[in-house]
Amino acid sequence: MTELDRRAFLAVLAAGATVSGTANAAPRKGGVLRVSAWTNPTTLDPTTGSGGSDHIFLYTMFDSLVAFDYATLEPKPGLALSWSYPDPLTFVLNLRPGIVFHDDTSCDADAVKFNLDRIREDPRSNVKPDLATVASVAVTGPLQVTLKLSQPDTALPLILSDRAGMMCSPTAVKALGKDHDRKPVGAGPWKFVSWADSEKIVVTRHEKYWDPKRPYLDGVEFSVIQEVNTGLRSVIAGQNDLVYYLSPQQKPIVDRSKNLVSVTGPTLYCIQLYINFGRKPMNDVRVRQAINYAIDREEFNKATMAGLSEPATLSLPKSHWAHDAEMAKAYPYDPAKAKKLLGDAGYPDGLDVNIAVYSDQRSQQRLEVLIEQFRKIGIRVTSYAGTIPQQTNAFFAEKKGDLYLSAWTGRPDPSQTYKLMFGAGSFYNASRIETVPEIGPALLETRGYEDIPSRKKAFSKLQKIVTENALVVPLVFQFELDAHTQKVKDFRPNLLGKCKFEDVWLEA
Amino acid sequence: MIGRRLLQILPVIVLATFVVFGLLQLVPGDIAVTLAGENATDARIAQIRQAYGLDQPFFVQYGKWLWNAAHLDLSRSYLSNEPVLDQILHRFPTTLLIVSLSLTISLVVGIPLGIVAATRPGSRLDTFVTSFASLGVALPNFWLAMILVATFALNWNIFPATGAVALSKDPSKALLHAALPAFALAAGGIAEVARQLRSALIEILSSQYVRTLHAKGLSPTAILWKHGLKNVSVTLLTVVGLLVNRLLGATVVVEAVFAIPGMGSLIVHAAIHKDFPVVQGVVLSMVVIVICMNLLIDILYAVLDPRVGRA
Repeated sequence: MTELDRRAFLAVLAAGATVSGTANAAPRKGGVLRVSAWTNPTTLDPTTGSGGSDHIFLYTMFDSLVAFDYATLEPKPGLALSWSYPDPLTFVLNLRPGIVFHDDTSCDADAVKFNLDRIREDPRSNVKPDLATVASVAVTGPLQVTLKLSQPDTALPLILSDRAGMMCSPTAVKALGKDHDRKPVGAGPWKFVSWADSEKIVVTRHEKYWDPKRPYLDGVEFSVIQEVNTGLRSVIAGQNDLVYYLSPQQKPIVDRSKNLVSVTGPTLYCIQLYINFGRKPMNDVRVRQAINYAIDREEFNKATMAGLSEPATLSLPKSHWAHDAEMAKAYPYDPAKAKKLLGDAGYPDGLDVNIAVYSDQRSQQRLEVLIEQFRKIGIRVTSYAGTIPQQTNAFFAEKKGDLYLSAWTGRPDPSQTYKLMFGAGSFYNASRIETVPEIGPALLETRGYEDIPSRKKAFSKLQKIVTENALVVPLVFQFELDAHTQKVKDFRPNLLGKCKFEDVWLEA
Repeated sequence: MIGRRLLQILPVIVLATFVVFGLLQLVPGDIAVTLAGENATDARIAQIRQAYGLDQPFFVQYGKWLWNAAHLDLSRSYLSNEPVLDQILHRFPTTLLIVSLSLTISLVVGIPLGIVAATRPGSRLDTFVTSFASLGVALPNFWLAMILVATFALNWNIFPATGAVALSKDPSKALLHAALPAFALAAGGIAEVARQLRSALIEILSSQYVRTLHAKGLSPTAILWKHGLKNVSVTLLTVVGLLVNRLLGATVVVEAVFAIPGMGSLIVHAAIHKDFPVVQGVVLSMVVIVICMNLLIDILYAVLDPRVGRA
């Protein structure tokens, strides 16, 4: 099957998964979707918030300038109908006419400029790095914004499908200041009603939404239930309609409940070992390659993910537009080769590595499998456990440990993923150095082409450098697992792994 | 006595919050990293540390918090930017409802069991009550909570499986939501009340003055109600005091099982993310509650036993 065929096939599969049972029923308007959310958002302002788990809330209230294809993550029109690069250092966005924010402010070029400038200049902005290449923003028509760039950056369309592209009402931001964190005003399908911390978030229909057909739902009510087991129970008991971010181990429970439908699909969320490649022993490429050869990813998937994930050797899953199928074959399970590489690196009697890991049961289980696989090539593991915030700080800020068993949550544009993990000075690169000098130019190249095939080629080059130098140890791409009641229709997962409800409707 | 007690509160609050603050500092992790989130850069983290005063010395940070707290300002949560006092006031009623309901169940079931066992020591009924009480103490409340959810919420759909409703909003719904968690917590309470009451009552009923009461012809019922129970009431009060404090602590686990937005879940979430104003605020309010509870019990002691007041 060619790449395109396979992608189309996957898209059909993904669509088929949810359409089954719908039996051609036409979507109807009405009803409130009750969702069990596993986390409280950091803020509800896309510019000041920081959590990757905030998007599910943000998507309901904020439309972004660019939208993305659910199955492949390719960009498609959002608040902006079209965009272009008249020259490599100029990016022009043409906005959809007639869009109003929830407070009736018009979402025109002035509003977009206000938002982009705020992201770049507000001291509270958490999104500044995303627009680092933007030198200035100018209004060049009532519905046209022109960005002047300091270097070519074709990652912008997809960057603008994330936080940076979510437009807030300038009137509300100016009037509310800091309070906009908790009383957001966007131009999304639903508008904010209330937020009781760690308890409930309610949004209701935006009557003046630009698409007259949507949204179908009158509103969405999120109940924050931090324990996903408890969240699942709330759906089984009928208190909620949908729960997301379930673990593969919960699949049998969902399948056993007759009133529930399970939804699953690949995501960018990659469970992986981060490497501090700035110092011994991980600064030796042979050690890093040995680790990559030492892992039986199929077995890892079976043992820790109930077989419900996609084994990973790259940082992009199979269905992603920039995935390089050839490079994905780079590290087959080969303990003999791994042992030889360790010997060549000067560790014929094996070596000790220190791994940072989360303290929860699932992470510990993953560590146990890795310890056993590493043992076979003579790598002896010591580990230290803690909560996610503790470990992220310890490994990336305090530089503790050689490896970090954690995950990469993925970014809309793949160049962000590579830049953040391997770029010089990046926080998620524990060494802060660019170990391989070719990385910098290769990263720039991925942002130098506008069309997808050329970008794909540039990414292949980048993936080759990262993979050959074994700068990370991808393990598996987690499949999203969500469960909802029978009356929830047309809920589809997306490759970003952050649920959207724009197509969802409720059966009467 | 009340004045003296109130004076004791201050050093206890300072000590408790200081110890908790110190412990939080010892735990690895940095809330600035959490706040910087997915787009973290070293510069942004440093900026956040400065903005929140996290780069200041330990004593300065604690001193600032204490100074504000002394002026009834519990600061704002680092994570949500909401005033901590608002969060506590919003969540406390939920926890209070569960604790009071649980205490009521413990007393309503525990006291009769204790009396029945004490008045028939050595009987089959007594053996049953003591074994039941041992079981109640031994059962972990989170396990019982899971069993209760599986049975009454998921299988039979009698009670809701998760969440809470404010008593002020809908009293009957609020009680329905609080029922399962309260029962899960009450198992230990029932057992404790029954056991303590039984042993105290047996001791009193076998004392010499009770024998005298029997001798002067008072009916067993009158002895039990007029003299027996009045004398064990002090023991019972002690048990209730300890029980309330323990229930407040135990809600942390049970609130997690039932996804109840109460004080327990508030402090757990805050402690994990090192959101220290919230942790301090909750600890402070818990200390105040426990001390007030102890004070109330002391006053009641004096009411029930005049000798206490004179001492």
